[in-house]
Amino acid sequence: MDLNKPNGTDEFSTLGKTLCWFTKTENANKIFLVLAVFCLALFLADFTYHKHGHFHIEEIPGFYGIYGFFMFTALILVAKVLRLLIKRPENYYGSKAIDNEEYPTDQLEQGSK
Amino acid sequence: MISILPTAFIFIAAALMLGLLPKGHIRGVILLITPILAAWQVWNLPVGIYMQVEFVGQTLDMMRVDKLSRIFGLIFCLAAFLGNLYAWHVRDFIQQIAALLYAGAAIGAVFAGDLITLFFYWEGTAIASVFLIWARRTEGSYHTGMRYLIIQITSGVILLAGTALLYRETGSITFERMTLSSLGTWLIFLSFGMKCAFPLLHNWLQDSYPAATITGTVILSAFTTKLAVYALARGFAGTEILIYIGAIMTLFPIFFAEIENDLRRVLAYSLNNQLGFMVVGIGVGTEMAINGTASHAFAHILYKALLFMSVGAVMLRTGTSKASELGGLCRTMPRTAIFCLVGAASISAFPLFSGFVTKSLIMDETANQHYPIIWAILVFASAGVLSHSGIKIPYFTFFGHDSGLRPKEAPIHMQIAMGFTAFLCIFIGIYPDPLYALLPYDVAYKPYTMSHVIGQLQLLCFALLAFVVLMRTGIHPPEIRAVNLDVDWIYRRLIPTLYIIIHAKVVNAFLLFEVVANTLVQVVIKSLYRLHGPETGVSRMRGVGAMVMWVAILLGIALTASYF
Repeated sequence: MDLNKPNGTDEFSTLGKTLCWFTKTENANKIFLVLAVFCLALFLADFTYHKHGHFHIEEIPGFYGIYGFFMFTALILVAKVLRLLIKRPENYYGSKAIDNEEYPTDQLEQGSK
Repeated sequence: MISILPTAFIFIAAALMLGLLPKGHIRGVILLITPILAAWQVWNLPVGIYMQVEFVGQTLDMMRVDKLSRIFGLIFCLAAFLGNLYAWHVRDFIQQIAALLYAGAAIGAVFAGDLITLFFYWEGTAIASVFLIWARRTEGSYHTGMRYLIIQITSGVILLAGTALLYRETGSITFERMTLSSLGTWLIFLSFGMKCAFPLLHNWLQDSYPAATITGTVILSAFTTKLAVYALARGFAGTEILIYIGAIMTLFPIFFAEIENDLRRVLAYSLNNQLGFMVVGIGVGTEMAINGTASHAFAHILYKALLFMSVGAVMLRTGTSKASELGGLCRTMPRTAIFCLVGAASISAFPLFSGFVTKSLIMDETANQHYPIIWAILVFASAGVLSHSGIKIPYFTFFGHDSGLRPKEAPIHMQIAMGFTAFLCIFIGIYPDPLYALLPYDVAYKPYTMSHVIGQLQLLCFALLAFVVLMRTGIHPPEIRAVNLDVDWIYRRLIPTLYIIIHAKVVNAFLLFEVVANTLVQVVIKSLYRLHGPETGVSRMRGVGAMVMWVAILLGIALTASYF
């Protein structure tokens, strides 16, 4: 993917190359798999100790995981609907907002590696 | 000498001195030394009230030190130091002065023992901070700064009105715990709520913070809202309505943050959400809850500054903070990426990071006090925090699709500022005891229990899994160039539009009235002219002789009548 870009991976620092590993398409499945296994392990871990929550619902094995997964999904879906309602073009507020203007270049220190 | 001066005066003196010094590194050194000196003073001052001043018949307590004001004073000094270190390259005199006076005013307000002193510093933070927005020097930032200033000043005016009413009622201006029982205390509550970005009063935050300069936003993020949190904790601890206000605050910004494109505005929404947790803590109001609020404010200032710093560094190098334009920057800005990830992990409250050991105080106490629905909302909001601050900020900036941008790594002083802040985030997470020792009340809380760690990891990792699934299925909303409407639409669009419409209607009505009135006047003039004009009956000239004859006839009739 990044091979098409003017800079090859060789020019990045060691740290940059390491982090770069996470962005590669061929590694996406590995990351997904590791995460899924880790989640499964966390779910199973719930059976290994005595839970002492404040509410009964917390005693359901994997309660936090199930709640997190479904609420996160719900959040994204609701946000998508919300976007349909409130999205406007970037110049909506015209010159009275910063959305449509460039950051002053004299206050930047731009430069490519 | 230094021990009897209010801490705020150190900042004001430094700001006055700054103009006398030559431009360059010397000014930068002053900006760094001032907060260190101030922190040293706050650290060493024993609890008590210092510097009482008589002012129009009232005693002003300029420096009230107790455990609650001390922890906020210390974190404000630390935030000023880190912000100024991050802004080491800035040579803009206005921003340097504003940064000093703004931090000074916020610290002054924290140590204010009475409402009049609080009011002066309250307005001081508004006036000093707006220059960090105007310093961008564009038309958009000018208008945004104006909107910000109007709202901030209004908050101060409401505070003063509330203080006056409260004084009439109680005869005291001491800033202490209040109950919402009179108009005066309600006004003070409203004033604090405006600065604390309560729902519907919140939009100045998302409007103005992305409009400030790169370094200005880092400094802005620390003070104003946390000053309001402090003021609420001091004045309205245990006020139940705050629990519900806070819960709504944790909830609604996460939806807006999810679809916002400007990453600095995403962080502003996320800031709003974090304030919600603190406000819930204040509403619950027990010792443990207030401890939770104070410690969460402390940790929050650090990780929020860190996140703003990392996005700011990207902006300094690329000129934009829009997610749609960024991506894949980890290749050339790996250190900034790692600092950003530390901030993201801290705000998401991963175990071993600062958010974990502070937010859980509030959440556990909400559960302890039996607010199951509020507790469920807070757990949901925690997953929401992960979504926008934990995933969206680092993923769409440093990972994700390759934008093709190959910016240089952040300047070294920014790396030092970010590195130090990141270190503090991890240090607090691993070893929270020094922070707990600073809290207003004694802490008997163990964040690292088996069920807490596993529960939190489950929540976050399963949410992360949901994100990956949604990305792979293409359901996750893409980043697109757009603005989203929020409550500020009312005063930025609706009211101006209504004004134009109403103005046009009033002008038309007036024109119509003018036409009708003119016609009426013309009719009256014409009819008068017809009666009284020359050559009309009424104004015809008559001879004097004829008049004398008519008088004589009348006299004759009167005489004749008097005989009978």
